Amino acid sequence: MSAIKNFIFRRRGRDGGWHWTDIVTWVWLIGGTILMFGPALWLVSSSFKGPAQLAEFPPTLLPYVQEVATVEGHDAPLPLFEATMEDGTTRILAEIRRIGTSAQMVDPADPGERISVRLTDRTPLREVGLAVDNYVDPFLSFDFMRYLGNSVFVTMAATFLTLLTNSMAAYALSKYRFRGRDAVMLLIIGTLMVPLSVILVPLYSVVSAVGLLNSLWGVILPTIATPTGVFLLRQYMLTIPDELIEAARMDHASEWQIYWRIILPLAAPALAVLAIFSVVWRWNDFLWPLIVLSRRELYTLQIGLNTYAGELNVQWHYILAMTVVTMIPVVLVFIFLQRFITTGIAGAGIK
Amino acid sequence: MGRIALEGIRKSFGTVDVIHGIDLEIGEGELVVFVGPSGCGKSTLLRLIAGLDQPTSGKIEIDGVDVTRKGAADRGLAMVFQSYALYPHMTVRQNLSFGLENARMPKAEIDQRVEEAARMLDIGELLTRRPTQLSGGQRQRVAIGRAIVRNPTAFLLDEPLSNLDAELRGTMRAELAALHARLATTMIYVTHDQIEAMTLADRIVVLRKGRIEQVDTPLNLYNRPQNLFVAGFIGAPNMNFFVTEAKSGRAALPGGAEVVLDHAGPVTIGIRPQHLRLAQDSERAIAAKVHLVEALGAETVVHASAEGAGSILTVLEGQPLIERGAEIRLAFDDENIHAFDADGQRIG
Amino acid sequence: MARFGETVGRVATLPLVLIARAFDPVLRLWQRGTGTGGMVAFFLLPNMAIFGVFVIIPLVLNFVYSLTGGTNILLGDRSFIGFGQYGRLLECGNYLQPLTCREDQFWTAVRNTSLFVLFQVSLMVCVSMITALILNRNIAGRGFFRAVFFFPVLLSPVVVGLIWRWILQRQGLMNLIVTNLGFDPVVWLNDRFFAFAAAIGVSTWAHMGFYTLILLAGLQAIPKDLYEAAEMDATPPARVFWRITLPLLGPNLAVVLVLALIRGVQIFDEAYVLTGGGPGTSTLFLTQYIYEVGFASFLRNPGLAAAASILMGLVLVVLTLIQLGLSRRAERGNTR
Repeated sequence: MSAIKNFIFRRRGRDGGWHWTDIVTWVWLIGGTILMFGPALWLVSSSFKGPAQLAEFPPTLLPYVQEVATVEGHDAPLPLFEATMEDGTTRILAEIRRIGTSAQMVDPADPGERISVRLTDRTPLREVGLAVDNYVDPFLSFDFMRYLGNSVFVTMAATFLTLLTNSMAAYALSKYRFRGRDAVMLLIIGTLMVPLSVILVPLYSVVSAVGLLNSLWGVILPTIATPTGVFLLRQYMLTIPDELIEAARMDHASEWQIYWRIILPLAAPALAVLAIFSVVWRWNDFLWPLIVLSRRELYTLQIGLNTYAGELNVQWHYILAMTVVTMIPVVLVFIFLQRFITTGIAGAGIK
Repeated sequence: MGRIALEGIRKSFGTVDVIHGIDLEIGEGELVVFVGPSGCGKSTLLRLIAGLDQPTSGKIEIDGVDVTRKGAADRGLAMVFQSYALYPHMTVRQNLSFGLENARMPKAEIDQRVEEAARMLDIGELLTRRPTQLSGGQRQRVAIGRAIVRNPTAFLLDEPLSNLDAELRGTMRAELAALHARLATTMIYVTHDQIEAMTLADRIVVLRKGRIEQVDTPLNLYNRPQNLFVAGFIGAPNMNFFVTEAKSGRAALPGGAEVVLDHAGPVTIGIRPQHLRLAQDSERAIAAKVHLVEALGAETVVHASAEGAGSILTVLEGQPLIERGAEIRLAFDDENIHAFDADGQRIG
Repeated sequence: MARFGETVGRVATLPLVLIARAFDPVLRLWQRGTGTGGMVAFFLLPNMAIFGVFVIIPLVLNFVYSLTGGTNILLGDRSFIGFGQYGRLLECGNYLQPLTCREDQFWTAVRNTSLFVLFQVSLMVCVSMITALILNRNIAGRGFFRAVFFFPVLLSPVVVGLIWRWILQRQGLMNLIVTNLGFDPVVWLNDRFFAFAAAIGVSTWAHMGFYTLILLAGLQAIPKDLYEAAEMDATPPARVFWRITLPLLGPNLAVVLVLALIRGVQIFDEAYVLTGGGPGTSTLFLTQYIYEVGFASFLRNPGLAAAASILMGLVLVVLTLIQLGLSRRAERGNTR
C-alpha cells in the first residue's frame, strides 16, 4: 500500500517530505485537470437541464427535472409543486394552469377540488434527471440531422481524397527522380505560408467560377491538397527502402501496383496519423464552410450550431445538447487515438 | 538460355562517370562473380544488367536479344538484394507469389512453384510467417526463393551474404554453390569478399574504378594476375611487392637476391607471403628483420622489414621458433615470382 | 487479436483494393506508353491540379483583387484602381488612434490583434512551458496528464466558443464562482475589458496543449546524463534550469514562440463565436475584419479585403520564414 503511495507521489524531497516543487506540481496538475475537463463536463451537465432550470441563478451542478403526476381527468401528466397554504402548512399539488400571478392547482389524491395558489407561494418539486428532450427535439424537428449528415459527408470525403491525392503526390516526390522535383517541393513548402484567411476573397471567386458555391464539394476540394499531408507522408516514405521498390519492379509490378501494394501498406502508420488529423480538421472547419455555404440545408454542424447560437432568441437548451453531439466524434478520437496524435505532433510538429 | 553480353557499357550520374565502357560475355549456365573494392562500380553494373538503371551508352543483350531499353520486369531476370528487400507486410508465401501473380500466372501453377521452391530451400514451415519473424539465414533463403520461383533466365545476386555472420555465411556459400550446380542457370554474383569469389565463381571479373582489370578463372587470377592491381587484390594476406630496377636481364631484391628477368627498366616484383620460406644457409634469399610474430597454430605470420623495401609479410607453415628482433633470411622459388612493368602490367 | 484486426482491415479495404485492381490494366497501358515520366505525372496530377486551382491561382488573383474596386465579387465586373485600396487602408492621421484613420475598423482590428498577440503569446508560452516542465518530471500518470492538457486542442472552435459563452453568460458558472467569493456578478462578454481577456484566456485554454507537446518533446530530447552531471557538481536547481534546460530547449522554444505568433495573428474562429467581435469593436480581429469586409457586411468591398489580407500575409510570410529556419535548427538540435 505504501509502495503504491510512494509511486503515486514520487517527490523530490529526500527524506520523504514535500519539497515545494512537489506541491506546485500537484496543484498545477489537479487544477489543470479541472480546468481542462471542467468546462466540457459543465457543458454536458447543462445540456441535460430543461429551459426553466437553465434560466436559474445560481445554477445547480447536476441537471434536475420537474416531478410530474398523472391526475385523473387530465390527459397529460401535470407538474408537481410544493405549495405553502394560507394556514402555513405545505402540500404537494399539481398545476393545471397559470392565471395571472396565481396558479390553479389540484391535489393528485383528490382531483375534484381546485386550489388557487399564488406563484410566489410554491416551489417546483424536482429530482435528478435528464431532460432528454434537448437531444431528441433537434433531431426530430430541426435540420440538425441534415447538418450532421453534411458534416459526416464532408469529413469522410475530404479525408479519403486527402489520403489518396497526398499519398500519390508524396510517392512521386519521394521515390522518383525527375526534373522539377525540387521546384514542386519548394512550391509546396512555400504554400505552407498561405493560410486560408489570406486568400479568402480570391478563393471564393475561384470556387464560384467553377460552380461549387453552395455545394459541399466547394467545402471539400480546397482543403484536400494540404501541404502538411504531402510533407508528412513524403517524409515517412523516404524511410521505405528503395530496394523494396526495385524488387517489386523485378517482380513485374507496375508502378501503380507498387504504389498500392507496397507503398501504401508500408506507409500505413503515417496514413493513420494523417487520417486522424484530417478527420479532426474537417469536422472542426468553420470559416471556409461559413463563406461557401449560404443555403441552410447545406450547413455543416459547426455552421448550423453557430447560426443557432447567433439567433436573437437563443435556445440554449437545444444549443448545449447539439454542442455535445458535435463534440462526440472528437472525444472518441481523443479517447482512442490520443496516443497516435500526441506522438505524431511531437514527431512532426504539425497541427 | 542465359547468355548475357555487354557491349561498350558506360554509365554516368550527372557529371560523374561510374562505368567507363565495359565489354563482357557471360556464357550459358556460368556463375560469374564481380569483385572489386567499394566504389568500383560492380553494383552499378549489376543494376544496369537488371534494368534498374539505364546505361548512358552501350548495349546489353540477353540470348541475342537487345534489352538495353527494356524495363527490369521484361528482361526475365531475378535479383537477390543485399538487404533481401522482402516485402515486410506480406507473408513468406505472398512474397514468393507476388511476382508470379503480377505475371498473371494461374493460381495452381503459382502454388506448385512456391511449394517446389520451399522444398528446395527447406523453408516449408516458414510460408505463413512475416519476414520480421525470420532469422537472417531464413530471410536469405526466402530472398533466394523469391528469385527461384520466377524461373529466370539468369540470377543476379548483389552481395547476398554480406548481412550474415561468418559461420552462416560459410554454410550459405556452400548451399549457393550446390544450388547453382542443381539449377545450372546463369548467375551473376557481386561481392567484395574474395573467398566467396574464389569458391563460387566459374569466372571472376575484377573491377576497378568502372573498368575491368581482368576476367579469368579463380585459379588463373591467383596464379597469373595480369596487373599489379589484381595481384594485390586477390589473395590474402596481400602479395609482397618490391620496387626495383631491371638491368641486363636481372633484377635485384633487398639483401642481394637476384631474379632473372627478360626486361629492362623499373619493375615491381611480387611474391605472395605463402611463397616465402626460411632459407637454407647458402640459398638465394631476402634478408629482413622481424617486427612481429603471429603464431596461429597451423601457420605463423611473420611481419618483417627489409632495408629499402618496407615491410615483408611471410606465412610459414607450422610453428617455427622465431623471435621478435631476429634477423631472418627468406627464400623463394622462381616460378612463384610475379613481375610487373612500370605501367603495372605483367611481364612474361 | 492482431489477426482479427488484420481481417477487419482487409474486409474494410476490400472495395478499395478492387477499385485499385480495376485501374491496373489501364495504368499499365499508360505506363507502357509514357514510361516512368508519365507515371510521375499521373501520381502528381490530382494533388497538383487541386493545389493549382485552389491555392496558386487564388494567391495570384489576390493581388489582382487588391488592385480593383467595386462591390462585385466577379473579377470581370470590377474596375482597375491601382493602389487605391492600399491607400485607403493606410490613410491615417495617427496610427495609434484608429478613429483618426479612414478605415478605422481596419486599424482597430490591427490594434486589437497586436494586443491580442502580445498577451496571448506571452501567456501561452509561460503556461505551456510550466506545464511541459511539470510533465517532464518523474510523476505518476504522466501519459494521462499529457492527454488532459491536450484534450481542448481537438475541440472545434465553435464548440470551444460556445462552451465558454455558456460559462461566461449572466447566469453562468463563472458568476457562480464570483458570487461565492463575495463579488458582484459580471456580464463578462458585455464588458470591453473582460471580453478581450476572455478571448485571450479561451484561445490559450484551447491551444496550450499543442505547444506543451512540442516543448515536452524538446525537454525529453535533453540527455539525462547532463542532469546527472549537474547533480554531481551540486548545481542548484534554478541554475540547472537557466544554464542547461533553457539553452538546450532554445530551438523548440523558438518554434513554439513563432508558431504561436503565426496562429495568433490569424485568430478568428473561437473569438468570433465567443464574442462576435464585440462589445462594439473591442474584440474585432484582422481575420474577422477581412471576412466581414469581403463577405458579410452590407457594403462589401472585396478589393479592400484582399488588400488587407495581403498586408496580413506579408507579416505571416516573415514569421513563417523565421519559423522554417528555426525548426530546421530545432531538428538538428533534436537529433544531436
